[in-house]
Amino acid sequence: MTEVVTGMLILVGAILMFLAGLGITRMPDLFLRMSATTKVATLGLGAVMLAVVIYFDDLVATSHAVATILFVFLSAPVAAHIIGRAAYFSKVPLWEGTVTDQLRGHYDIKTHQLESIEFPDLEQHLPDVEMRRFSLSATSPVAGQTLAQIDLRRRYDVTVLAIRRKAEVLSNPDGDEHLCPDDELIIMGLPEKLDKVGAVFR
Amino acid sequence: MTLVQGLVVFVAFPLLTIAVILAFVRLVRGPSLPDRVVALDLIATLMIGIIAVYAIATDEPVLLDLAIVLALISFLGTVAFAYYIERRV
Repeated sequence: MTEVVTGMLILVGAILMFLAGLGITRMPDLFLRMSATTKVATLGLGAVMLAVVIYFDDLVATSHAVATILFVFLSAPVAAHIIGRAAYFSKVPLWEGTVTDQLRGHYDIKTHQLESIEFPDLEQHLPDVEMRRFSLSATSPVAGQTLAQIDLRRRYDVTVLAIRRKAEVLSNPDGDEHLCPDDELIIMGLPEKLDKVGAVFR
Repeated sequence: MTLVQGLVVFVAFPLLTIAVILAFVRLVRGPSLPDRVVALDLIATLMIGIIAVYAIATDEPVLLDLAIVLALISFLGTVAFAYYIERRV
C-alpha cells in the first residue's frame, strides 16, 4: 500500500516537474514562463518530498523533507515576485497577444514605487469621477499629434489635467500641445470612459 | 529493486533529466537576463527533485541534507540576481 502511494506521488511529481521544463521552453514570454515554472515545479517538488516522507518513514528524513517543502513553498513565490518585478522594470517585452497590462501607468519610473493616484478630497466631492495616469507608448497612433487633433474631450468625455514629460509637468495643457512617446498623462473622467481611453495610448 | 525504485530509475530520472535539458535550452537562448535567472531557478528546483528521488533510489536519507542546502542557495542566488537587475535599470 505505501509502495503504491509513494510510486503515485513520485510519478505525479516527476510529470509536473517535466511540465515545468516544457513550459519554460514553450511559453511565449517571461511572465508566462514564470507562471509555468514557479507553480508547477513547486507543486511537483512538494509531491516528490511527500513521497520521501512516506518512503523513509523515520523522523530525520521526515523533518528534512518537511523543512525543504516549507522553505521552497515560502521562497518560491517571493523569488518569483522579485524577479518578475525586476523584469517588469527593466522592460522585458510582454507577449504580443497580451490583453491587459494592469501595472502600466501605476508605478513611478524613477523610484520604482507602485502607486495609484489618490485625491481624497476629490473623491469626497465628486464620488463618480476618477483620475488615472496613462503613459503613451511609441507605437500609439496618437503619438506626435496635438491634444486638439486627438480631441479626447469630445470623443471620450474625459479631460487631460496634466502631462508629465521626463522631469517637467505641464499642467492645464492647451490644444496645441504635441504628445511625445513616454509622456505620462493625468486624465480625469468617469471610470468606464477611462477604461475606453486607455486603448488610444497603447 | 522494488517497485518504487524501478519507477524512480525508469520514469522519474528520464522525465527530470529532460526537464533540466529543456530549462538549459532556455538558459542558453535567453533572450533577456530575467529569462536566464528564471531558468537557473528552475534548474535548481529540478535538482532538488532529482536529489530527493535519488535518495529514494539509493535508500540514502542523508542525501536530503543536500536538498535543503540547494534550496537555500538557489533562493539567495535569485534574490541577488533580481536586486542586480533592478539596480541596473
